[in-house]
Amino acid sequence: MARWHVKDIILVTILAIFMGVIFWVTGPLYTVLGAALAPFGLQPMANDLLLGLWCMAGPLAGFVIRIPGAATLGELLGSVVEMFLGGMWGAATLISGVVQGVGSELGFVLTGYKRYNWLTLVLSALTTTLVTFGWDFFRSGYNKYQFGFMMVLLITRFISVFVFGGVLTKLITNLLSRAHVLSPRANA
Amino acid sequence: MNPTLKLAVIVLIALEVSFTQVWAVNVALIVIGLIILLVAHIRLRTLLWLTVVPLFFASALVWSLMLRGNATSHFLIVLFTRMFVYVYLGATFTQTTAPLELTRSLEQNAKLPSKFAYGFLAAFNLFPKIRAEVATVRAAALMRGQVLHVWSPQLYFKVILTAMTWSEQLADAMTSHGYVEGAPRTYALTIPLKPRDWVYFTGSLVLVQVGLFLGLP
Repeated sequence: MARWHVKDIILVTILAIFMGVIFWVTGPLYTVLGAALAPFGLQPMANDLLLGLWCMAGPLAGFVIRIPGAATLGELLGSVVEMFLGGMWGAATLISGVVQGVGSELGFVLTGYKRYNWLTLVLSALTTTLVTFGWDFFRSGYNKYQFGFMMVLLITRFISVFVFGGVLTKLITNLLSRAHVLSPRANA
Repeated sequence: MNPTLKLAVIVLIALEVSFTQVWAVNVALIVIGLIILLVAHIRLRTLLWLTVVPLFFASALVWSLMLRGNATSHFLIVLFTRMFVYVYLGATFTQTTAPLELTRSLEQNAKLPSKFAYGFLAAFNLFPKIRAEVATVRAAALMRGQVLHVWSPQLYFKVILTAMTWSEQLADAMTSHGYVEGAPRTYALTIPLKPRDWVYFTGSLVLVQVGLFLGLP
């Protein structure tokens, strides 16, 4: 099984920073969306709608770097970067980072780090959704919502994670494999 | 305080507060966090920002739960204060610790392999270049009449190619400067781990346990 070298560590960190910079642009989007939805009591919806974007570093790192732990490390480093660049949630971001990272990592674990295709990304989207939702279930009081609304949030979250972590990631990795820059095991 | 232990204690407290529902402890942690921040001479603008933004999110979350949930008012207070615990406690770490200090401490005190410490630092220091690169990729596409959005695969594709090139170059540069993965290293600057740090660490955790399980509201 592949091991971590300093090159991969730099790569996963640079990737995480790149994603961070790109998502920084969405910061205002989140606030505006949250503010627009807040009066109707739908603010958490903004969270669930955009979660996929924030969780993208995981599947992307897992897919590009193909070393066990890449997805987790990608998300974790993303949160470290966010923490030091003045993300508001400070060290608590690290917990979310690990939760999201483990969530997307599980998808790769389930395929034994052997298959890198649609199935992996769909599984990863599924596990990311479930793990992060479980975390919000306690942390953000999602367990106190009426069942119907809770399900709406869960489905919204899955769609978001699937679109960004699944479809968009697949499109990106398609471009990458056409450019022959993914490792040889990539051709699934 | 030692950066590694400081980070550990804050993450542990944040984790524990997420699963318990004692608002008195939350308020106490907020007050302690505020005191630490003020002692560390936090800029007023930063503090204001750290207060207004969570105020919005916490209020919106509580409002949402009031409309669409069946939470008790006790739980709503817990949730509201919890958001501020995250923000203030988190800020006590970021406002008082530099990334370099933390990586050094993680390497020396927490025995993190040096390849992670230096790999991370190498990449982290590229931050200004990375930001410029995203702007460049966008501008280059604009010249050809393409608008790259957050959901455009091309944006990520180009950025990943750059990341691959840079990481190889940086790793090569480190090797040519004599960096060897896994080789024993000496430290130009040692980060001390004093008994006092352990006292703060254990003391804070014990205090939080006492507060959480004393039967406070």
